Amino acid sequence: MRRKQTKRSASGRPAIPPVTTTVVMRLYIANNAPNSVRAVANLAAICKEHLQDKFKLEVIDVLENPLRALAEGILVTPSLAKLSPSPAAKIIGNLSDKSSVLHALGIT
Amino acid sequence: MKPKKPDLHAPNLNSSSAPMGSGFEANILRLVKGARECRAIESGQVDAIMDPASGRAVLLPDAQAALLERKARFRSLVELSTDGYWEQDEHYRFVLHTGAPIGSDWTGDGGILGKTLWELSFDNGSEIDWQTHRTQLEWRAIFRDLEFRCVDRADGLRIISISGEPMFDAQARFKGYRGITRDITERKQAQAAAPESDRFARTTLDALATPVCVLDTDGTIITANTAWRVLAAADRGIAAGVAEGGNYLAACDQIVGDERVDAIAMVAGIRQVIAGERELFRYEYFCNAPSEQCWFMATVTRLHADAAARAIVSYEDITEIKRAEQLLRLEFTVARCLAGADDTSAALQAVIRAVCETQSWDCGRYFRLDLASGVLLLDESWGVPVAGVEQFMEKSRGVVFRPGAGLAGRVCQSGEPLWILNGSKDGRASRTALAHETGMDGAFVFPITSKGKTLGVLAFASGTVREPDDRLLQAVRSIGDQVGQFLRRRQAEDALRQSEARFRSLTELSSDWTWEKDCDFRFTKVTGSGMPGAGHVLGQTLREVPAVILSDADWATHQSELAAHWSFCDFEYAVALPDGQLGYYSISGEPIYDEAGACTGYRGTGTDITKRKRAEIALREREARLRDLVEPSSD
Repeated sequence: MRRKQTKRSASGRPAIPPVTTTVVMRLYIANNAPNSVRAVANLAAICKEHLQDKFKLEVIDVLENPLRALAEGILVTPSLAKLSPSPAAKIIGNLSDKSSVLHALGIT
Repeated sequence: MKPKKPDLHAPNLNSSSAPMGSGFEANILRLVKGARECRAIESGQVDAIMDPASGRAVLLPDAQAALLERKARFRSLVELSTDGYWEQDEHYRFVLHTGAPIGSDWTGDGGILGKTLWELSFDNGSEIDWQTHRTQLEWRAIFRDLEFRCVDRADGLRIISISGEPMFDAQARFKGYRGITRDITERKQAQAAAPESDRFARTTLDALATPVCVLDTDGTIITANTAWRVLAAADRGIAAGVAEGGNYLAACDQIVGDERVDAIAMVAGIRQVIAGERELFRYEYFCNAPSEQCWFMATVTRLHADAAARAIVSYEDITEIKRAEQLLRLEFTVARCLAGADDTSAALQAVIRAVCETQSWDCGRYFRLDLASGVLLLDESWGVPVAGVEQFMEKSRGVVFRPGAGLAGRVCQSGEPLWILNGSKDGRASRTALAHETGMDGAFVFPITSKGKTLGVLAFASGTVREPDDRLLQAVRSIGDQVGQFLRRRQAEDALRQSEARFRSLTELSSDWTWEKDCDFRFTKVTGSGMPGAGHVLGQTLREVPAVILSDADWATHQSELAAHWSFCDFEYAVALPDGQLGYYSISGEPIYDEAGACTGYRGTGTDITKRKRAEIALREREARLRDLVEPSSD
């Protein structure tokens, strides 16, 4: 019996299919606080590796725009909200867990 | 880096929003109830928590400490790099000032707070200067290095440099200005005290139109003149963006794309000069900037001013010279295409192609002025092998322009070149929708003239038509004249060819063959049929041709005529034909002379007169017989 072979990348890990639709995200941060800075860096790396130019990102500083964060149901920062494509998702923390971020963004 | 003032809201354990005595953790638990949020807080991945009651963000202690530390570090750096920091409100009044004093009104921070810059006492602030500055502020522009002179409390002259930028809130509302001050008194005094020779050298360097900079051993730009700074800011060429203090070699190493090869060559040359391996390095390169194409000649020379190895780099813009060379080459190419052309169509196509390739234009079309109908008809075209261009040319095949109509018609009528730049809405001629679709909305049209008359127009279309300079206009006039002369010459040649063909046809109708002889009267060319022994005639005189029957007297007479270079007419001779009968032939000829007037031979025509001669002979024989019959009877 022939088994269906999973396509693997050069690194040996299963290859992630390329993203075709634009992912719209909103990242809520607290100015240059340590976790916020880390979240921006982690998200930038993920976008560069997996989304190339297929994403739109708005960064909101809750220290400058607290009411907007509250209106959008944000309780803690840093928080990343994936708005489209459906389903919407929210990730809390500094986005250091790459696999859960990819999962939430629907890339895996 | 610009100073940032994060709105830090530290958790206030004594405030009414926090439960008294419950501690910060209790306050957090009150705000955050979700399990995910709690886990993130416990793992230390959260910086702030939103408090719906106050509508504010509450920073967690670690984040708050980090931001305060960052702010302190930033302030420290600002203090190190500048002499003072200030902020103004939306009415340009100072609301914050730290560091060096501004103006002679300074008596501590309280001295300038609440005042505008122009309300302070400066020695060099005229009303016009302040008006200009206020306009800058109204435009919310960033201002840099405004220099003011004032007298300090010790009656010493101070020179202050002030720079500032506007501040806006989250709703993009103008909040005021903030900026820095620097005390540049010592630098200015040092400059003023510099030897006259130094100032003269600096002024001379700045006056040079050629961009020049001096590199140290590592490739850092120690100094540069004004032209270099302009070039660096112009974002074109290898020097783009590298100003004083920047490392030129490092910048060259980072260049990618078309200029990569040039950058490598420049780096190698500069390193050789710095290492003393050569005294001079020159390198010419082409820069295809989005706005225009240009050429530079880079020169690197070794500086022997002191022990440290240094190199002087200069860039000369040779675009004008290169364009002139290009156009001169184009004129030569056009002349060569036309001189060696046997085919008018191929020659016109070659000319159109040469112009297109030199000017980077997409396609060109030659419209001939048809004298009979008085309209311009498409004769020849050439374009780059691109689908859009081919479609454009295909669509324009049936286009007809009346003089005065369209760009081509206007050029035909005026006899002057016209052009439409890309993207311009020029009302002089309507461009087709296709021209816009294909991006070839630029056009250049010039007339083809000869002896003051317009024979047609050459129309070029492209997405890269630039404003022509005098040299280009001169070149297109020259090309128009060259093509015009060529077409006129071809018309004359065609007319001559037709005339010759007509003459040949008439000659063939009136004679059986034509012939040519050399100066020794030997046949060199025989065309047509009817000359007996034609295959054996070439290289022989008439007398030597086999089977020709010619008496010595007749030949001597004919030869004397030839020797005297007389024309002769209807010289008759007989030929013994293979059937044993005689054939009779008549030739006429005239001498041929070269440009020096020397006779080079004869040419003429020949006619078979056998039938006529035989009829004459038969008639004569019948007359003789009749005479014989009559004469005996009369006896």
